[in-house]
Amino acid sequence: MSIVVFGLNHNTAPVEIREKLYISEPTIPELLHALKGHGIHEAVVLSTCNRTEIYFSSEEQEKTFPIIREILEQSFEIKPEWLQEHTYTFHGEDAYRHLFLVASGLDSMVVGEPQILGQVKDAYRMATLYNSTGFFLDRVFHKTFNVAKRIRTETKIGYNPVSISSMAIELSKKIFGELHQKRILVIGAGEMCEIALKHFKKEGLSEIFITNRTFRHAQKLAEDITGIPCPFIDIPDLLTKVDMVLSSTGSEKPIIDKELVQSMMKKRKNRPLFFMDIAVPRDIDPEVNKIGNVYLYDIDDLKELSQQHLSDRLKESEKAYAIVEEEAVKFTRWLEQLDTNPLITHIFEMVEEIRNSELKKTVQKLKKIDEDTLKSMEILTKTIVNKIIHPHVSLIKKNGSPEVLDMMKKIFNFEGEDEEDMDNRDEG
Amino acid sequence: MSIYIFYISLAFYLFSTLFYLLYLVVYRKGVERVGYYSLFAGFSIHLISTLFRYIQAGYTPITNIYESLSFFALAIAGFFLYLKRFYKIEILGCIILPVLSIMLIWASTFPAEIRPLPPVLKSYWLPIHTIFSFVGNAIFFISFFVSILYLVVERGIKKKRVLPFSGRFPSLETLDLINYRCMSYGFPFITVGIITGSIWAGFAWGSYWNWDPKETWSLITWIVYAILLHNRLTIGWRGRKTAYMMIIGFLSILITFLGVNLFIGGLHSYV
Repeated sequence: MSIVVFGLNHNTAPVEIREKLYISEPTIPELLHALKGHGIHEAVVLSTCNRTEIYFSSEEQEKTFPIIREILEQSFEIKPEWLQEHTYTFHGEDAYRHLFLVASGLDSMVVGEPQILGQVKDAYRMATLYNSTGFFLDRVFHKTFNVAKRIRTETKIGYNPVSISSMAIELSKKIFGELHQKRILVIGAGEMCEIALKHFKKEGLSEIFITNRTFRHAQKLAEDITGIPCPFIDIPDLLTKVDMVLSSTGSEKPIIDKELVQSMMKKRKNRPLFFMDIAVPRDIDPEVNKIGNVYLYDIDDLKELSQQHLSDRLKESEKAYAIVEEEAVKFTRWLEQLDTNPLITHIFEMVEEIRNSELKKTVQKLKKIDEDTLKSMEILTKTIVNKIIHPHVSLIKKNGSPEVLDMMKKIFNFEGEDEEDMDNRDEG
Repeated sequence: MSIYIFYISLAFYLFSTLFYLLYLVVYRKGVERVGYYSLFAGFSIHLISTLFRYIQAGYTPITNIYESLSFFALAIAGFFLYLKRFYKIEILGCIILPVLSIMLIWASTFPAEIRPLPPVLKSYWLPIHTIFSFVGNAIFFISFFVSILYLVVERGIKKKRVLPFSGRFPSLETLDLINYRCMSYGFPFITVGIITGSIWAGFAWGSYWNWDPKETWSLITWIVYAILLHNRLTIGWRGRKTAYMMIIGFLSILITFLGVNLFIGGLHSYV
C-alpha cells in the first residue's frame, strides 16, 4: 500500500490549463464515483484556483494511472499532452511530504496563506462523506492536519498579512481596533478601490461612502457593494464624518491638501483619521501625515511593509520546512512499522471488512436514515473497532515474541506469507 | 498576622509577574491566564491582609509609608483587574506587574509593626481622605503606563515602522479610550481627596489651606488633570496631547506622594 499524488499547480501549469482542470465541488462526487468504478477506493480530490490534485492509495500504480488520466481527459475535455507536460506525480514519502507542504501553505503562491488548510480539510471531508477514504488515507490526512497545526503554532509563517488590502486593514485595526462601527470614504471607483473595498467590507464597516469625479461610476460601484454614492464636491464635508479614507483616482494633482485636513480635524474634534492613498501619482499631500491624529500611508509605504512581512514569512518558512521534513520521516517510520508487520495490516483489513459489511447490512435494514445518523454510526463503529484491536496491535508491536505472534495469528485467522511472498511484495 | 498574609499575597504577585514576563516572550494565551489568575489571587489575599490590619489596628491602615505603598498597590491591582474585564490589555500587565511587585518589596523594607495612631490622625476624615486620594492616584498610575504605550504605538504608526511585538498592542483608539476612562474616574477621586484633605486640615491645623508642599503639589496635579479633562471635552484634545498630559500629571503625583515625603518635608509628614 502506498499513497500517490497526481496533479498540477501554479508552478507547473498556466492559468488556462488550471481553469480547465478545476474540479468544482458538485462534480467531485462524480469523479470519486468514477474512480471507485475502476477499483480506486481511496481517493481525495483537492481543487482550488491554484491547484488540482488527486491523492489516492493504490497497490498497483501502473494500472491506476492510465485510468485516472482517461477519466480526467473524458470528463474535462483536455488534451492528453497537457497532462504529460504540466502535471507532477509523487509516491510514498514524497507524496505525503507534498501534502504536508500544501496544507501548511508552503506550496502556495503567497507563502503561508491560511485558506489552503481549510480547502484541504474540505476536500478530505468531501471524500469521507462519499466513503472514499480508508485506513490509509485517513491516517495520512489526520497527520497532515497535525503537521499544519504544528507549523501554525511553532512558526510565524501566517502571522503577518502581505497583500496591500490586508495590510491596509491591519493598519486600520492598529489605529481603530475593531472596524465594525467605522465609516470609510472611497475616492475613485477604479479596480484598485473595488478590490480593497471588498476586503474592508468583510470587516463589517457601518457605512461606505463612494465618490468619483464622474458620478455615474461612483453610483455603479456603490450599487455593486451597497455603499452610498456622493458627489465629488462633498469631500470636505465627508472628511468630518468618516474614520478612514481610501483614495485611488487618476488625478494628476493632489485632491486633498494639508489645509483642508487641518480645518476638518478641528470640526472632527481631533478624532483620528486614516488616509490610504493607493493612487499613482498620489491623491493626498504627504504633508497631511504631519497633522496630529492623522495617519497617511501611500502605496509605497504599504508595499514596503508588505515586503517586510513577506521576507519575515520566508525566514519562517525555513523552520516550517524543517518541521515538515521531521514529520515526514517520523510518519514513514510509523508506516514501515505497520508495513513490516503483515499481521497488523491483516488485522486492520480484516476488522475493517467486518465493520463495513455489518454496517451496510444495518443501513439496509434501517432504510430511512439521514446523513448525520449515518456519519455518527460510521464514527461509532470505527471507534469501537479501533478500541478493541488497539491492545492486540500494541502487544504485537511491543512484544513480538513467537508465542504472542502465534497466538495472534490464530485469533485473527492469519495464514502468514512465506519468505517468497514477502520478497515479491517488496519489489512491487 | 496581617504581615504574613501580606507576604503570601506578595508571593502571588511575584508569581503573576513571572508569568506576565514569560507571556512577553512566548505569547501564549495560557501563560497570560496563569498570570491573570495569580494576580487575582494576589489581590484577594492582599485585600484580606488589609482588612485584617484594619481590625487589628482599629484604624484605616493608610498612616505610614509601608501602609500607603501597600494600599496604593492594592488599588492599582484592583483597577487593573477592573479594566482587564473590558479591554484587551494583557501587554499592560507586563509593565504594571513588575512595577507593582517592586513597589510591594520596597514597602516591606519600611517598618510594618502596628503602632498607636498619632492623635492628629485620629479622625473620621482619615479613611475618606486617604482612600479617595489613593484610588485616584492608582487610576492615574495606570493611565501613566497606558499613555507611554500610546506614545510608543503612535510613533510606530506615524513613522511607518514595524515595532517588535506590535501585534500584541491594543489599538490606538482603545488606549485613548482607556485614558479617557481613567480621566473621568480618576479626576472625581482626587478632587474628593483634596477637598476632604482641606476640610480635615481646617479641623486639625486650624486653616483649610496652608500652602504646605503637599497641598501645593496636589493642587498642581489637580490643575493638570482639570486642564486635560476640560480640553478633551471642549476642543477634543486626544491622542498624543492627552498622553503627554497624563504623563506630566502622574509625575506631579509622584512628587506629591513620594518627593514631598522623602525629600521636601512639611506639615503632611506621615505619608
